[in-house]
Amino acid sequence: MTESTLFTVAFILYIGALIVFFAALFARREGWARAGLVLAAAGFLFHTAALVLRTASSGHAPFTNMYESLSFLSWSVVLAMIVFGRKSRVPGLAPYLMLIAVALVALASSPLMPKDATPLVPALQSYWLWLHVSVTLLGEAFFAVAFVASLLFLGAGSEEKKERLDALAYRAVAVGFPLFTLGGLVFGMVWAYRAWGRYWGWDPKEVWSLITWFVFALYLHTRIVMGWKGKRSAWIAIIGFLAALFTYFGVNYILAGLHSYA
Amino acid sequence: MRSIVKFFSSVRLAIVLIILITLASVLGTFIPQGRSTAEYAARYDSLAGLFTTLQLTRLYSSAWYLALLVLFALNLVVCTVVRFGAKWRRAFGPAPAADPQALMAMKIKGRFRLSLPLAAAKDKTIAALRADRFRVTETPVGGRTVLRARKRRLGLFGSDVVHLGLLVILAGGFASGLGGRRAEIGLLEGETADVPQAAFRVRLDKFETEYYPKGGVKDWKSTVTVVENGAPVLTRVVEVNHPLTYRGISFYQTSYGWDWQKSAFELEVRKRADASFSKSVSLKLGERAAVDDVEITRVAIRQFVPDFVLGEGGKVQSRSQEPRNPAALVEAWKGEERIFSGWVFARYPDFGSGHPEGKSPFAFVLKRYEAAPYSVLEAAKDPGVNFIWLGSLFVVAGLFLAFYWPPREITAVLEETQGKVEVTAGGHAAKGGEAFQAEYDGIFERIRRPS
Repeated sequence: MTESTLFTVAFILYIGALIVFFAALFARREGWARAGLVLAAAGFLFHTAALVLRTASSGHAPFTNMYESLSFLSWSVVLAMIVFGRKSRVPGLAPYLMLIAVALVALASSPLMPKDATPLVPALQSYWLWLHVSVTLLGEAFFAVAFVASLLFLGAGSEEKKERLDALAYRAVAVGFPLFTLGGLVFGMVWAYRAWGRYWGWDPKEVWSLITWFVFALYLHTRIVMGWKGKRSAWIAIIGFLAALFTYFGVNYILAGLHSYA
Repeated sequence: MRSIVKFFSSVRLAIVLIILITLASVLGTFIPQGRSTAEYAARYDSLAGLFTTLQLTRLYSSAWYLALLVLFALNLVVCTVVRFGAKWRRAFGPAPAADPQALMAMKIKGRFRLSLPLAAAKDKTIAALRADRFRVTETPVGGRTVLRARKRRLGLFGSDVVHLGLLVILAGGFASGLGGRRAEIGLLEGETADVPQAAFRVRLDKFETEYYPKGGVKDWKSTVTVVENGAPVLTRVVEVNHPLTYRGISFYQTSYGWDWQKSAFELEVRKRADASFSKSVSLKLGERAAVDDVEITRVAIRQFVPDFVLGEGGKVQSRSQEPRNPAALVEAWKGEERIFSGWVFARYPDFGSGHPEGKSPFAFVLKRYEAAPYSVLEAAKDPGVNFIWLGSLFVVAGLFLAFYWPPREITAVLEETQGKVEVTAGGHAAKGGEAFQAEYDGIFERIRRPS
């Protein structure tokens, strides 16, 4: 099978998982949700194979343009969904995370995204490409978990549900924040220093990743030191994920800078 | 003094500062930084002056942004120091006089009796706690024995390690800003240049551009030799992502180009009336070269652009340094009479026939245009960079400590009553409550089990 076939199969399985998850949510059938998880996991395997195949055929890390990085981000979101969806007993989490993953895959497969594997420009020829991008996007996938949990929190009725969602969002930030710090900021600085001769240049993408970092730092401090929980925490996590999203997309299309690869 | 410390020890101040720094940073990404006055005037009109006065056009090095960072650093220092003592005592200090009532008020707790003598009950409790890697200290208080068990105490200091790392990074940033130097050095092959503020020079031995088979640049490689006291010291290939560092100065491959003004050309002269006539002339820019023919005696190239484009008002410009559309302004004479002046395009040899002076009896083909390639290296000295790596290490290690090494604490009070030993215990963990409850239950089940 070619990479694009594998990718399409993964896409179809994800859509199947999405439908089953929502059916389970609205029909309140927990057994169905398990079937959805199986579909999502199957899609994840095909998606993994597609990424491996692309890496093998292009000879470089599969995140050098918008199509590739969207594909990898959606892969990370599905991974985060499997990690958290299995353990947490929050029925809304899997469907809405899957919705984000499917939206990302759909965006990646849209005709707007050039899919050709292009040879790497000199600046991207570095093993830091692997480390910087993969760890950052993984971190952002866990921010997506916190985002969904926080949105569900704002919509939840019962106190018990709210408490669970609040704790879930915190746990997701606890995974995402160290990953984002390491991948986005630290590895980013190391790579920038090797490629451009400076570790920090106030490039819009750099500044926005710092902004994202600050928002989640705010989340942690208001929560741990000042005891903010619930609604206010949820809003900060939502803003944090939106900042991460803007760092990822918005900066490329709205603000010009050095960092214009993907 | 005390009020200053109090002001800076507040987490509220930290939160206000984080919000202010974040908003300022956002603003700086929407106002382009470090552009020319004219550009700001065109973009912001009457607001341009205000923006410049408020230093919004170089926001990240503005006095007020730096002041926010300094306040943030002070806040970090004071917050961390003020809280450190209590944390230290909590981790390593002696057990406070625990009272069973207080323990029963904790979230994770238990009370039971053991039919054992006090010494045996104590040993059993200590052994069970140690089996789960708790470090146990024992304090007799009155008739009671207080056991305090702690593990993963370093986790308490995760946030302090992060804060220390941030301070080191901020210090590194200031060191880079104050002591960092950068200079671009353009070198033709074979040239040697001084390195600013260094007692050595660099020579470019070779510069190559590698292309992919389908086009597109694969790599720029500069073979650079460091020359110290007139003698070569070392030779390295400098590529993007592979800088050369010598005596604290790093050299980066940043740009490249061609020295078009010193190009060597070959121009072919043809006659439209005589297909068999063809003469090639080698010449340099601005130089008149003889053609050796009665109808056309000399030719010259007055101007050359590698990437021809017509700018505003029909002005000839070069869009880039790359030879994408090389064009030469050719002039020709017959004796002292100028008989031709027009642009000749290497990629479009027939284009010149439509030049403004009408159909000339001559045609020119720009057959060769060669310029020496040059490489631009950036020489950078950054005294802050090692602070950045050290600080980053602290930040990441601290984050993992804070999130994944949660400290746990169990206090148990053993009291002899009516021939039995009453054990009251309480557990405390800032994070991971559920997992801790399970661990706690396991330990106390082992203690209660008759041996």
